[in-house]
Amino acid sequence: MKLLKIIIQIAVLYGIYFLGEGIRSLLNIPIPGSIIGLLLLFTALSLRIIPVEWIENGARFILVYLPLFFIPATVGVINYPDFLSWTGVLLAGIVSLSTLATMTAAGMVSQYFQNKRKEVH
Amino acid sequence: MLAITMFLLTIGVFLLMTRLYARLYHPLFVPVLTSTVVISSVLILFQIPYETYMTGGGWIDSMLGPAVVALAYPIFRQKDVIKAHMVPILLGVLAGLCTALLTGVWFAKLFGIDRTVSLTMVPKSLTTPVAIPVSDQIGGIPSMTIVFTMIAGFTGIVLGPLLLRLIKVDQPLGRGMAFGSASHALGTSKAFEYGEESASMSSVAMSLSAVFGSVIGPLFVWLFHI
Repeated sequence: MKLLKIIIQIAVLYGIYFLGEGIRSLLNIPIPGSIIGLLLLFTALSLRIIPVEWIENGARFILVYLPLFFIPATVGVINYPDFLSWTGVLLAGIVSLSTLATMTAAGMVSQYFQNKRKEVH
Repeated sequence: MLAITMFLLTIGVFLLMTRLYARLYHPLFVPVLTSTVVISSVLILFQIPYETYMTGGGWIDSMLGPAVVALAYPIFRQKDVIKAHMVPILLGVLAGLCTALLTGVWFAKLFGIDRTVSLTMVPKSLTTPVAIPVSDQIGGIPSMTIVFTMIAGFTGIVLGPLLLRLIKVDQPLGRGMAFGSASHALGTSKAFEYGEESASMSSVAMSLSAVFGSVIGPLFVWLFHI
């Protein structure tokens, strides 16, 4: 019974994803259908158009296995054997450095302003 | 038959690697990374082209869309926290986005990387489905951008925890902002290890970066004459 519920709820999530894809192609914007779907579902939950019970089990289930769903895409790296070269290593190093700088900026700026507001209150 | 084998191979390897990670708990052994290495090695060893792998792997790949939609659930559960911290969230995301867009190109210039490859690097911090059209729009090479977004994701997963300890970003909000802004959905999957609040913050950061990035990315290239 619980499994059936999970399957139906995942189908609902699929439906919202396709709705997002539809909106994307209709408006011809570079924002992906999945992100539009996320925003749609969040809005629908907030306005109580969709009760949270309708998707709760399905969403929990799907998010437990979230890393699994990336694997087919990441395996695609085998199509780029060129990256196993010195230039590839250099490029990877640049991307990594930039990523660490990004984490530092986003993390420190948000935490700084969060703590600052705590002091004011 | 081959498709089913590829499908089962992916799930089997993932479950095994998850068990290994539970035992070792070392950032280098995060399941998505080890599974990618193992499956890639199997494909190369048996000379199976990626396209053949995707006949079965594609079934799993098709779950990625609804999985991203499902991230609305933890965001919804944390909506009061988000509402209370709107300013730090927005500033954190913008700081991250600007850093991601600029440092990649600057570092690339520093090392004498050619312009097309530099442009390809611009959208690397964005979630792959946004990074591809942005790369295309600014004159990058979309298929290469996919590899860059992957490296950005894995860097956050593997080195992120250590970095955040070093710079003392130790609260759920800051952590989530860091993972989501720099390492998109891959980082968000890691943020779940810190709990729901970090994960939802990471989802928020990833979504906002995707929306802002698709606008600001091309604007940056035009503004800075990269």
